[in-house]
Amino acid sequence: MGISTFLDWKETSVTIMMSAIDSEEPDLLPGDLAIWFFIFMELLVFGIFFIVYAVVRINNIELFNEYQLTLNRELGMANTLLLISSSYFVVRAVAAVKQGDTNRCVHWLYAALAGGTGFLILKSVEYSDKFSAGIGLDTNTFYMFYLSLTMFHFLHVVLGMLILLAVLIKAKYAAYSATNYTGVETAASYWHMVDLVWIILFPLVYIIR
Amino acid sequence: MNKAYNIHLVWLGLMLLTVASYFIGELGNGGIVAMIFLMFAAAIKAFLIIRDFMGLRNVSLLWQAIMYGWLFVVCSGIAAAYLVSLW
Repeated sequence: MGISTFLDWKETSVTIMMSAIDSEEPDLLPGDLAIWFFIFMELLVFGIFFIVYAVVRINNIELFNEYQLTLNRELGMANTLLLISSSYFVVRAVAAVKQGDTNRCVHWLYAALAGGTGFLILKSVEYSDKFSAGIGLDTNTFYMFYLSLTMFHFLHVVLGMLILLAVLIKAKYAAYSATNYTGVETAASYWHMVDLVWIILFPLVYIIR
Repeated sequence: MNKAYNIHLVWLGLMLLTVASYFIGELGNGGIVAMIFLMFAAAIKAFLIIRDFMGLRNVSLLWQAIMYGWLFVVCSGIAAAYLVSLW
């Protein structure tokens, strides 16, 4: 083995070792760090809400089981499928902008917003049925939890959609690129949080008894 | 390409678990087995969203601990309350 061959081999080995060391370094949180503190606070509030629901149910099992059956579980499932798909579309939007394809990013964001709109429409149909039947926050403990939990989540869906819309408009005007996509990741992180919360809320309020 | 392929599978898995959860709820009259299945399915779905959709697979352990810790506390808290109610 000649000296130059040995040096080439050594250089290659060092490069591989350095890249291995680099790859062991943890990634940064996607998006702006500030949104993550907001997400942690939101998750804390929803988490407390969920556990309080389950604890209050212990002394009101018959009431909760009886009125849970009055909920439209088909709409609940459809809404879950819509939010999961919408979240998936946002993942595709982030992947597209990372590849520098802002047009495709915009298209996926439109799809995600369509999913969110579908969620809001179905939820409004559900609320309309309940309100027209005279059901409100003071009807009983179950409906108090059902309405307050789902409406609180509803507001988060609206906020998430406004953030996605703002990012979509910016993306349309080429504000993002393969090297500048923090805004898209920030919006995506918030939208996934909205999905994550619903993933627990759906079985808790609609199915488990 | 592999990553995109995995994301498709994650999405499909989430959809299937949702439909399965719905049918378990429709078939059964509740009880411990149904409750454990439904909470387990919800926990798996939430785990996949955190890991693959939010993209926290390779972030520092602190952030992973916060997110998975939240999931663990919430799911086990709900399950514990339901077990008490079924006792």
